This record gives sequence, C-alpha cells and structure tokens, in this order.
Amino acid sequence: MADSNRTDPQKGNGLPAFIMGFVPGLLQWQLGQKQQAVTAFASCTAVLFVGWVVVGERLFYWGLGVPDGQSSFDNFAHLGLPVLPEVLNLPAQVTGALMAYDGSATGLRMQRLPRDLEHIAGWVTAASGMLAAFWAAAGHWSLRLRRDADGDAARLVANPALCAALSWIVPGLGHAKAGQKNKGALMGAAVAAVFVLGLVFSGGHAVDRAQYGVWWIGQNLFGGGSLFAALVTGPMRSVETPIDLDLGIVLCTVAGLMNLVVMCDAYTVAERSVFPVRTEQAANEEAMG
Amino acid sequence: MELLFRVVIFVPVLFLVAVVVVAQQHATAQSTLQAAAKRSVRWLVWTAALLVSMTVLELLFIEF
Repeated sequence: MADSNRTDPQKGNGLPAFIMGFVPGLLQWQLGQKQQAVTAFASCTAVLFVGWVVVGERLFYWGLGVPDGQSSFDNFAHLGLPVLPEVLNLPAQVTGALMAYDGSATGLRMQRLPRDLEHIAGWVTAASGMLAAFWAAAGHWSLRLRRDADGDAARLVANPALCAALSWIVPGLGHAKAGQKNKGALMGAAVAAVFVLGLVFSGGHAVDRAQYGVWWIGQNLFGGGSLFAALVTGPMRSVETPIDLDLGIVLCTVAGLMNLVVMCDAYTVAERSVFPVRTEQAANEEAMG
Repeated sequence: MELLFRVVIFVPVLFLVAVVVVAQQHATAQSTLQAAAKRSVRWLVWTAALLVSMTVLELLFIEF
C-alpha cells in the first residue's frame, strides 16, 4: 500500500545523528534503549582503558603526526584527536588525553619509549574506537528502523551493525550471517590473500603500529589480521630490513581498505533484507497506488 | 627481473581487489568471479594505457 507520507528509506539520518554517533550509546539513549546505551558506553570506555594501562602516553606517538612540543599540531595531539581509530570513541579518548598528555620534553621522550606488550595493547585501544563505530552504526540502524520500517522489520535477517563488526574480525563472516555465505567466503578469501601476501613479502614486519603507525590505521580495518600481527608477527625481532618491506606494507594496507568495502557491503546486504532496492518500475507502481 | 616480479604480484592482487569491488553489485560467488575477471581485464588495459602515457611524457620532457 502506497503511503505518500512515508520517508524515503534512502534518506540519511542527518548531521545531528551523525555527530551523536561519536559518543558511544548516545543514539541508543535518545531512542530510549537505556540498557544498550549504558552497555555501549561502558564497553567502549573499558576496552580503551584496558589498553591504556599498558601503552599510556605512547598512544599519542601513534597518531597522524608526531608531537614536537612547538607546532599547532600539538593542540590537537593534546586532545588525542589525531589518534585513529581511538578518536571514534571520543569521550574516553579526549578525557584520557586531557588527563595524561604531557607536552614537556620529558613527556615527549616518554611517548617514544617502547612498552612491553604494546602491540596487543595498541590493538585493544584501537578496538575501542572500532567498537564505538559499530555501536554508532547500530544506533543509526535503530533510528532508520523506527523511522522507515513500519511492519517490515520482521524481515530482518541480521543486525547490519553486527554483520559489519563480524566482518571486521573475519572478512566475509558478516555476509554469512546475512545469508550470502558463498559471496562472503570469496570476499574474505580475497582480503586474507592480499594480507598474507603482504606479511610474506615483508617477512612479517609490515603490520607494526609502533613502527608504521599511519599505515597501521588502514591495516587495522582488517581487525582479525591486525590482531594476528599484534600477537604473532609484531613482537618478532627485526634483524634486517626485508627487501620488499615497502611492498608488504602497501599490500597489508590495501587488504585493510578492501575489508572496509567488505564491512560496508555486509551492512548493506543485511540492510536490504528490510529495505530492498526499489526498481524504477516498482517505484512507479507504488506511486500509482 | 624486478619488473617481472612486480607484474606477477600486480595482476593477481588487481583481480582480488576487483573481486571485492564488484561483489557489491552481485549476490553469488559465481557471478562475482565472472564480473571480477572482466573488470580486471578492463583495469589492466587502463594500467597499460597509463604506463604508455607516462613513458611518452618521460621521453618528451626528460630524455629529449
């Protein structure tokens, strides 16, 4: 039945909702999902500070630029803003940075000091940012369901945000959850193959947040791969620089960016179980009543 | 030899990237693979065209 008052499901949720997504749980709170809101905020904050206990102020050294105590960039660094993906968990990241950032010469030297277990701890702090992004996606999805779904929500095969989160850890798993197992396996194999090629060419040294922090931001979009690297290859001692290290770093980053596409597609596949793509003919038929 | 090595890496990686890119318009693995093969060929042609253009520019502005 055509309903002329119904909002176009292709329409976004708007800028305020987008901004609210940077505070884990705020969208859920606005939607009246109080328990989910508290869980989102507590989980993101807890995960960040578990990693923070180990890495401390070294986290600031892994941002998009290195603070030098003089440039205007330090103002951003003082708030922890250049550190991705932790900044997606904005309240905890900014609070932590305000409490811990030390712009003095001694503080900047401390940022350069390697820590024990920093590979896995760096992955954990990054996971808090990714977790915040998935909670934001879940909030946006709830918002769209409430706005556009009417009785269509019963057709939902899986929560799109959950599908995206699963694909972050295991590429293609989100597609399997959403009902496209073969396609998911193919996409997952493609991402994993490029990532493994990168690790092989670099002798396992391509994915190292402490060494190649900016490249690592892209590589971490394949969370399972960067976790493997943090646990297995990251702590390996580098005796000499592999001849194809540059190729390996680029391939692992390309794999991460490929997985970003996989995550978005997993979200879309699940989303379309409720909001299928309307053909022009179907739209015309609906308009005619 | 180094160039051959880079090409041997480039072609399969290009195909794998194509798989992920075209999969967004397909629902099954089979149709994705077919479309990825076509897209890879298209991208290879563009790559070759880009290489030729860069070589021509090099000859025009650097070597002469």
